[in-house]
Amino acid sequence: MAKDGEKGGGWGEFIWNPRTREFMGRTATSWGLILLFYLVFYIFLAGMFALTMYVMLQTLDDHKPTWQDRLSTPGLMIRPKPETLEIIYNIHRTESWDMHTTALDRFLADYNNSVQMEKSDECVPDQYFKQDDSGDVKNNPKRSCQFNRTILESCSGLEDRYYGFQDGKPCIIIKLNRVIGMLPGRDGQAPFITCGAKPPLADRQLRLPPKKEDTEKVGEMVYFPPNGTFNLMYYPYYGKKAQVNYSQPLVAVKFLNITTNEDINIECKINANNIPPGSERDKFAGRVSFKLRINTHTD
Amino acid sequence: MGDSYRVTISEEANADRSITKKRKGVKKDMDELKKEVPITEHKMSVEEVCGRFETDAARGLTVAKAAEFLARDGPNALTPPPTTPEWLKFCRQLFGGFALLLWTGAALCFAAYTVQVFSEDEPAPDNLYLGVVLSAVVFITGCFSYFQEAKSSKIMESFRNMVPQQALVIRDGEKVQINAEQVVLGDLIEVKGGDRIPADIRVVSAHGCKVDNSSLTGESEPQGRSPDCTHDNPLETRNVAFFSTNCVEGSARGLVVATGDRTVMGRIATLTSGLETGQTPIAREIAHFIHIITAVAVFLGVTFFAVAKALGYTWLEAVIFLIGIIVANVPEGLLATVTVCLTLTAKRMAKKNCLVKNLEAVETLGSTSTICSDKTGTLTQNKMTVAHMWFDGRIHDADTTEDQSGAAFDKSSPTWLSLARVAALCNRAEFKAGQDALPVQKRDVAGDASETALLKCVEGLCGSVRAMRESNALLAEIPFNSTNKYQLSVHETEDPADGRHLLVMKGAPERILERCSTVLLQGKEQPMDGATKEAFQRAYLELGGLGERVLGFCHLLLPEDRYPHGFPFDADDVNFPTEDLCFVGLVSMIDPPRAAVPDAVAKCRSAGIKVIMVTGDHPITAKAIARGVGIISQKSETVEDIAARLGVPVDQVDPTLVVACVVTGAELKDMSAERLDWVLREHKEIVFARTSPQQKLLIVEGCQRQGAIVAVTGDGVNDAPALKRADIGVAMGISGSDVSKQAADMILLDDNFASIVTGVEEGRLIFDNLKKSIAYTLTSNIPEITPFLLFILLSVPLPLGTITILCIDLGTDMVPAISLAYEQAESDIMKQPPRNPKNDKLVNERLISMAYGQIGMIQALAGFFSYCVIHAENGFLPALLPGLRVLWDDRGVNDLQDSYGQQWTYEQRKILEFTTHTAFFVSIVVVQWADLIICKTRRNSVFQQGMRNRVLLFGLFFETALAAFLSYTPGMGVALRMYPLKYTWWFCALPYSLLIFAYDELRKLLIRRNPGGWVEKETYY
Repeated sequence: MAKDGEKGGGWGEFIWNPRTREFMGRTATSWGLILLFYLVFYIFLAGMFALTMYVMLQTLDDHKPTWQDRLSTPGLMIRPKPETLEIIYNIHRTESWDMHTTALDRFLADYNNSVQMEKSDECVPDQYFKQDDSGDVKNNPKRSCQFNRTILESCSGLEDRYYGFQDGKPCIIIKLNRVIGMLPGRDGQAPFITCGAKPPLADRQLRLPPKKEDTEKVGEMVYFPPNGTFNLMYYPYYGKKAQVNYSQPLVAVKFLNITTNEDINIECKINANNIPPGSERDKFAGRVSFKLRINTHTD
Repeated sequence: MGDSYRVTISEEANADRSITKKRKGVKKDMDELKKEVPITEHKMSVEEVCGRFETDAARGLTVAKAAEFLARDGPNALTPPPTTPEWLKFCRQLFGGFALLLWTGAALCFAAYTVQVFSEDEPAPDNLYLGVVLSAVVFITGCFSYFQEAKSSKIMESFRNMVPQQALVIRDGEKVQINAEQVVLGDLIEVKGGDRIPADIRVVSAHGCKVDNSSLTGESEPQGRSPDCTHDNPLETRNVAFFSTNCVEGSARGLVVATGDRTVMGRIATLTSGLETGQTPIAREIAHFIHIITAVAVFLGVTFFAVAKALGYTWLEAVIFLIGIIVANVPEGLLATVTVCLTLTAKRMAKKNCLVKNLEAVETLGSTSTICSDKTGTLTQNKMTVAHMWFDGRIHDADTTEDQSGAAFDKSSPTWLSLARVAALCNRAEFKAGQDALPVQKRDVAGDASETALLKCVEGLCGSVRAMRESNALLAEIPFNSTNKYQLSVHETEDPADGRHLLVMKGAPERILERCSTVLLQGKEQPMDGATKEAFQRAYLELGGLGERVLGFCHLLLPEDRYPHGFPFDADDVNFPTEDLCFVGLVSMIDPPRAAVPDAVAKCRSAGIKVIMVTGDHPITAKAIARGVGIISQKSETVEDIAARLGVPVDQVDPTLVVACVVTGAELKDMSAERLDWVLREHKEIVFARTSPQQKLLIVEGCQRQGAIVAVTGDGVNDAPALKRADIGVAMGISGSDVSKQAADMILLDDNFASIVTGVEEGRLIFDNLKKSIAYTLTSNIPEITPFLLFILLSVPLPLGTITILCIDLGTDMVPAISLAYEQAESDIMKQPPRNPKNDKLVNERLISMAYGQIGMIQALAGFFSYCVIHAENGFLPALLPGLRVLWDDRGVNDLQDSYGQQWTYEQRKILEFTTHTAFFVSIVVVQWADLIICKTRRNSVFQQGMRNRVLLFGLFFETALAAFLSYTPGMGVALRMYPLKYTWWFCALPYSLLIFAYDELRKLLIRRNPGGWVEKETYY
């Protein structure tokens, strides 16, 4: 290209031209000016950005995000929560399940009755615990209701330290994602969790119920608190700033006679008629599925 | 299609490489071909020629010899140049430049998807889609540019069409019809009227043979052929006839002295197809620009790939970053935009009679700094017209304008009537039948150029010539011949009562004068005296000095007593007087300039374009026309003019005074390249006269050595090498030969020089507008790249996805970028010098600094602001975002906590993320509104320029509508992962849009206020 010919001295001269005292085609003054310009320009831009951000942040509410439409169907999640949501262990090999029990221990530590007593209040059950602000006067901080670990009974890890893992009757704890202001319910009653066999992909697309033999393989289950309800008194949630000590309600499900030595796909979902079913794409909106395989061979 | 440019480049590079290998051999051949024709046989006697080729002038070659020669020299055919196979051309379109970069991106996408298929249960098909889209983009653009290139370069085919099929040879004394390919050196050939000449032949015998050399030399009148050598130059001598020219009438025999590629035509063909044409300026610019962008893309890609690895990202993640950076960096739609802009201009030019064959030539024309123009037909009307008349001792002007709008002279003089009568009667030209409705100037005439001029002149000024001829019945006639140099006829007079006869004569003025003893003044016959003769000489010199062809006219009323009614006039015996005639006057003719040409030349001059006239014509005529059209301006003097004015010898004239010069072919022949360079450099106004086609090529190369971008006009086959060599070859649509049209880049449909100038204007405008268009398109690269950089460096959720980037590059940016091609010029672009290809780049550092460093940064901030707004309004405050990426992109985390304590599943977050992508995309559209408006002008305020560009307004509307469509159409969430935005989110970028507008208006104000100031030096692109 013509440019190369024009440079003459080539790259060396382009980087430092001793004749014109130019570095990369510019003299020191020229570099200084352009750098100064860009410095001032970018400082100005940063200022402009900061200003618009400041204005935007002023429009936000401290306690409730402007939009919540993406969270209309709250997610469900289980504990323990292995990476792939597959709980596979051998009852005879402690090391294959004790990480789950430790995880549950850790997770439930906050729900110890002592902690709950200290941080939270006892509330009137079976009704929403509304603590509305009166006009501009904020009713803060909001009080929280106790969720005592003992509610989970045999899944509390208090009487059975191993949550049933050791005898093939494991407990899985299910929680509903927190959404500010959400009032889940089923005809004024508490929403509840049900678990069951997860139909294979093809059946799910046709919205068929799980096959009978699958349901039999899952066997009996028992929920804590009874019926797997999330008591209404835990709603609504007022956000972590106003309701610092909020305790997320839990439901534990204990598999009593699940078929062993086989992959069992289980799906749990929330039953509430004011929570829209989530999109097919979101596998955790209002439901959660996981795989349970309990091996019993002793080798 | 963008790739057409890159292809030209890669092809060029390849061609270069292959040429270097055999450079020595080829180079020498080419130089050899550029020299004058090496034929010498015309100077030899027939016997010598026979001796040289072991043949016989009566019996021809023996069959055995012919076979031997055929085996030795090969067939008498033009060798086609080595061609690249079509599939290879197609592949070149598909790989290289941006295409290669995009292929890499696509390959990475497929690789990433494959890895995902094996490592994940339900892999997201995003990468597969992206790979398919990228491949499709490259493939479609590749096809586009392939078809665009494919139509060019049929030069050799056009030459082959000129080659005759059959030849009549005499071998062993017998006439045989053979395939023209079988003709060999030394063959005795017979041609007759209507034949094409099958090889270069030395004429041995001829009977009234005339050949049409127009395809070779541009000489339009058929020329006689005879066995005598009449000129040293083989192209001018009468005893050589050339391969592929036509024999018009008569017949001739000749010995073949050159066959196939060694013939004059073969040499031109080889030269033309073998000439290296440099890259077009715009191709160079685009290549330069692609280099910059590719370098930036590769640099950023590799750096951030390494950074990503160093930060502990997985291979898959790093590869996905790399894809993003490549896609963001490459302006996928830009080259398409450039092509569309050029196409639009090409269409506009076609309407103005410039048919552009090679799109890139559109811009080349704008960069043109020198135009080498033909004279005949381009600058002139290509028809002889009576320009002046001399009678009654005065010169009268005739009207030479195309539409006969010029001033008329006093027609009342009886001398004029006599002159008109002589001109009408002593004239063999006739109007073709059935044209009475047409204006005189437009009618077709059978006859030679001068007689046609006279016929039209008389018809126009005095009425029907046919009626005049009918009333003056022709009795005898002596046609013009080169020994007499006159033409004569004897007629009855129009007055039936008058029994006398009228003898009329016209011819070379000095010969006519010799035969006159009286002169007609004011209708009275006066004796010819010294004063009259002197007046005649002055007039003759003056008219000759104007470059006009002068004819003298005289008549004589034959006395009735000696030549009574019914006298048997005998033209062969000449039984009537041809001396002591009565001189009537002179008529001079010229091929006058086209009406629009002087203005066009003046426009070129103010636009800093040097116009050089190159003609085969006589220097005096050439100079006269050059003065007439302003190629040599009124005040300029050649060295001869100055010498004549000062009365000193030519070599004592101060060369610094000389701005104009007329160089003849003979002088040029003896000139060294350095001397030619000096001539071209030191003279502003140059006319080359009496030049041969090879010299035209030398002139073009000389101009190119000065660094000029040269446009050359030409119509003959002989012009083909120059047309090919020129930066832009301009062929004539009406008079041009097929070969010249193939070799040219552009065709002037009306053969008019003025059309070139409108082309130049369009070319300059499109260069300016392309700059604007590129500035506009490149700006959005920054808001496309920065999201990836922040994603990697700060680990924030991705602000802008690859799909959305493609939506910008191939969607919303396209129409606005193209609409800038419709922008009107900011100032009179024809008052500025042509751009200097060395300094004035299409894409320069100031454009990059503006687009990337300033406007692009503001745009990026607008995008990030929207991004922050959406995250914040949905619960993720800005402070939470840095470092959030790891959890954010973890499919297993379905209870990610936001700033308010709410918990999000993976899919919920992703929908939010894609909503931010959509918002970022919309923000770019909003800031691109402002960018489009500021890119309308480079110096003027938008308020000065106005918003009259309707296509641009449509572009604004289009990009907005498209953005809304992509965001709000149901199902887009699945198809492109774009989600509906809250209406308020459209306004996030608006402050930044206003900032861009205000900032740039301020910048342009400073540029206008302080011309040459710092702002201009640093930001005027």
